[in-house]
Amino acid sequence: MTLQLILLIGFGGAVLTYFAGKISSKLREIFAVMISLILVGMIISIYGKYSQEILTLGFLDFRIIFTLNRLSWLFAIIVSSLTFVTIVFSLSYMKGKENLNFYYMMMIFISVSMLGIVFSGTLLLFYIFWEIMSWSTFLLISYNKGKALSAGLKYVIMSIIGSTAMLIAIVSIYIKFGTLDISAISQNINIVSFNYITYILALFFIGFGVKAAVVPLHTWLPDAHSEAPSPFSAILSGILIKMGIYGFILIMYIIIGIKISLVLGTEWIKFHYVLAWLGAISILIPSFIAILQNDAKRLLAWSSIGQIGYIIVGISIGTGLGFIGGTFHLFNHAIFKALLFLCIASVEYQTRTRNLNQLGGLIKKMPITFTGVLIGGFGLIGIPLTNGFVSKWLIYKSLFDSNQYFLLFFSLIGTWAAIFYGYKIIHNIFLGQLPEKYKDIKKEPLSMKIPIIILSFTVLLFGIFPGLILKYINNLGVSIGFQKFNVSIMGISTETGMLNMLNIAFALFIAIILVYLIFKIGKKKVKINQYDNYGAGSYIPVDKYHYTTKYYDPLYRVIRPFLTDYFDKFYSWIANCVKSISDTIRKIYCGDLNYYVIYILGFLATIIVLKIGSKLW
Amino acid sequence: MVRIILLDVIVPVLSAFIIGLLFLGIFRKVVARIHWRYGPPVLQPFIDLIKFFGQKGFSHGFIFDTGIFLSIAGSIVTILFIPFAGLCALKGSGGLLVLLYLLIIAPLGMALSAGESANPNASIGISRKLILSIGYEVPFVLIILSLMFYYKTISFVEIIDAQKNFHWALFSPLFLSGISYFLILPAMLGLRPFDVASAPQEISSGGIVEYGGQYLALFHIEHALHLYIYLSLFVNLFLGGGNIFVFLIKMFVVFIIGIFIHSVFPRLRIDQAIKYLWRYPTLLALLGIILILIFK
Repeated sequence: MTLQLILLIGFGGAVLTYFAGKISSKLREIFAVMISLILVGMIISIYGKYSQEILTLGFLDFRIIFTLNRLSWLFAIIVSSLTFVTIVFSLSYMKGKENLNFYYMMMIFISVSMLGIVFSGTLLLFYIFWEIMSWSTFLLISYNKGKALSAGLKYVIMSIIGSTAMLIAIVSIYIKFGTLDISAISQNINIVSFNYITYILALFFIGFGVKAAVVPLHTWLPDAHSEAPSPFSAILSGILIKMGIYGFILIMYIIIGIKISLVLGTEWIKFHYVLAWLGAISILIPSFIAILQNDAKRLLAWSSIGQIGYIIVGISIGTGLGFIGGTFHLFNHAIFKALLFLCIASVEYQTRTRNLNQLGGLIKKMPITFTGVLIGGFGLIGIPLTNGFVSKWLIYKSLFDSNQYFLLFFSLIGTWAAIFYGYKIIHNIFLGQLPEKYKDIKKEPLSMKIPIIILSFTVLLFGIFPGLILKYINNLGVSIGFQKFNVSIMGISTETGMLNMLNIAFALFIAIILVYLIFKIGKKKVKINQYDNYGAGSYIPVDKYHYTTKYYDPLYRVIRPFLTDYFDKFYSWIANCVKSISDTIRKIYCGDLNYYVIYILGFLATIIVLKIGSKLW
Repeated sequence: MVRIILLDVIVPVLSAFIIGLLFLGIFRKVVARIHWRYGPPVLQPFIDLIKFFGQKGFSHGFIFDTGIFLSIAGSIVTILFIPFAGLCALKGSGGLLVLLYLLIIAPLGMALSAGESANPNASIGISRKLILSIGYEVPFVLIILSLMFYYKTISFVEIIDAQKNFHWALFSPLFLSGISYFLILPAMLGLRPFDVASAPQEISSGGIVEYGGQYLALFHIEHALHLYIYLSLFVNLFLGGGNIFVFLIKMFVVFIIGIFIHSVFPRLRIDQAIKYLWRYPTLLALLGIILILIFK
């Protein structure tokens, strides 16, 4: 009963929020925050109550089943809590924009449809919620109009291709199995051949790959993420693309089961290794493309594709450790990427720009946001004591254990790219000189500070005590059929090596204190102005130039030829072909009645000529 | 417990500090002799350090201070991961995979600190330093991978144990990786021909241009620890570690060769440096990893 209640409250609340906005904007905001908070509370309350709810009321003779298992609870808690955080953030960010009733309604609507996806117990229900999510996402991506419209269009076209592939797969499954219940299919999976399963998986791969933005299906993401309203970008990058990963886990490990999905393919090319290699390519190239970006949100968008690559590599490598690492990284990426997007939104709110070459020195004006970006960026890179480190370590360890030399190499090099863009975003926005025009910036509003503080705290919490969540994910892995690991609150141990965050954290803290004490030996430091520095005899000009422009220029020149997004070009080429073909066809269907009369006469004449001609022959 | 703290923690960190500074002194002396100068006394870095602490430091803000604390703290923790003549405090905490990440902290901390100094020279210095680091990190990761896969472990101590009795990695199928490591060593240590990041004549020492007083002192400590880390990594991973005297002698020999290279080569431009690093050492490291694929 509770699962239906959650969805009912969610969808109902979304609509109520809209109408509350008609009365007063205060009421709407209270409504939106309260409903997202209630959703978080309800999902916390169903922790551990794994159950299945079969609705007596059917739909087109299909049963409606809601299920709650370990996997869906994990996703549900991420979805609901991030929605709550972003809605709180939106309160001040979106203030004064138009169409806010619609915005808040859609925010809640999308997250409830994601809850619906993870709670659905039949593929039909899954598909319905999936489509609700896809379409309502389109509406919010295009919220800002202008460039956002074409970004949204790109997204929705790719989404349609994906969901069409998925629909074909679902229909085909129904024909084969006669049911769409997930548990029933997974019990009878042995009756079909491996080739059929590979075919189904390939179709689902298109559907989920588009959503998860795996290379080569990633091209919608950079446009959509950078053009959407910033708090919604946090949702997009934090949880929406994770729905694709949920789909992968669902189809590979729950429906098909690990025994079959890990042996699919030929002897040399296994299906899950193909997936892992696509993941590795998603790490390598997009991470380097991210370095070249000058728009902060576009940079983060490309980095999202790279981080999704880690998750894909982790879950598709097919070992227990890899699954734990991938799932944990998914959880972590949701947190720190949402944090980074919200921080960029906060910068954008104060300065009205997110061009990395026009900002600088904001650390003095926005210390909280700086801390957020610093911790989020460290999480992205995977500096020890942040959660990103633990999950990346687990993924690397699993790659090492399964002897994947080059996958491991790609993943490690991807981390170096992350250092580059992570540092670029920290340096170009917050360090360096503060431009004169930003001298009078006020501090962030409270409703922006709270989400940033909460998320930063979470990044560190799960970095130092990864066991809090690893234990849960370990049990999830065991319930799917993976090996069990010995997880303590501080880390994880395997037969071939262990990770202990306590030692590292303790050592790092002691070392920092030690260095601070050594620092204190010296004379008292003097604080000086930003222009009071060394310029080899001349002074540093005020606001004359920004020395972070073309920051990695020598590197660009070396790697640029390798970083063209050929897939995007290829898709654009296809789109252009379709357009020119349609244009040619349009010339025939010109809409002028006289031409149509000529066509009809011509057609008749041809038939007559043929008829008579054949007689005469 | 007391033994662990005294022996495994304090001894490696303190000796890294002393060895690093001593090597910097030797470095200046040897370079001077090659240049036909007399050069400063070998203990000059220690004297400098005391002098710097007596001078007034100028701060540019919070991260200017914190970045450099973070940097040294990162180096200290890294040292605890590297066995020093058999002593290793954090041997069971994640091995080489953690080490790769810990090595990131020190340059990143320095970069953050220098970033806040709001000086164009510092920005250029960091940009060059980061680009140089991706240059040597590509072969470095390949080298570490080839070691991990050859010895089938991520534990540092086990790799050294396997090299006992002159079974050095340098004389095994890993020799190509060893040569590659040696080729990138000058870039890691910031020696010429790869000293673009700190080029004093061009960009006023790059990132550290705004440092004075205790900041410069801390930078020198960091520099010394950095020197120790990369030299001891090479000695441990390819030359079999050894007891304290053997360990020091091996480090010293490697470093002396590095100084010779430093004192006769001119400086490369950054794009030349990255092209070199991505060509020869990377190619060797790749061949090395393929060799291991064949030998296993």
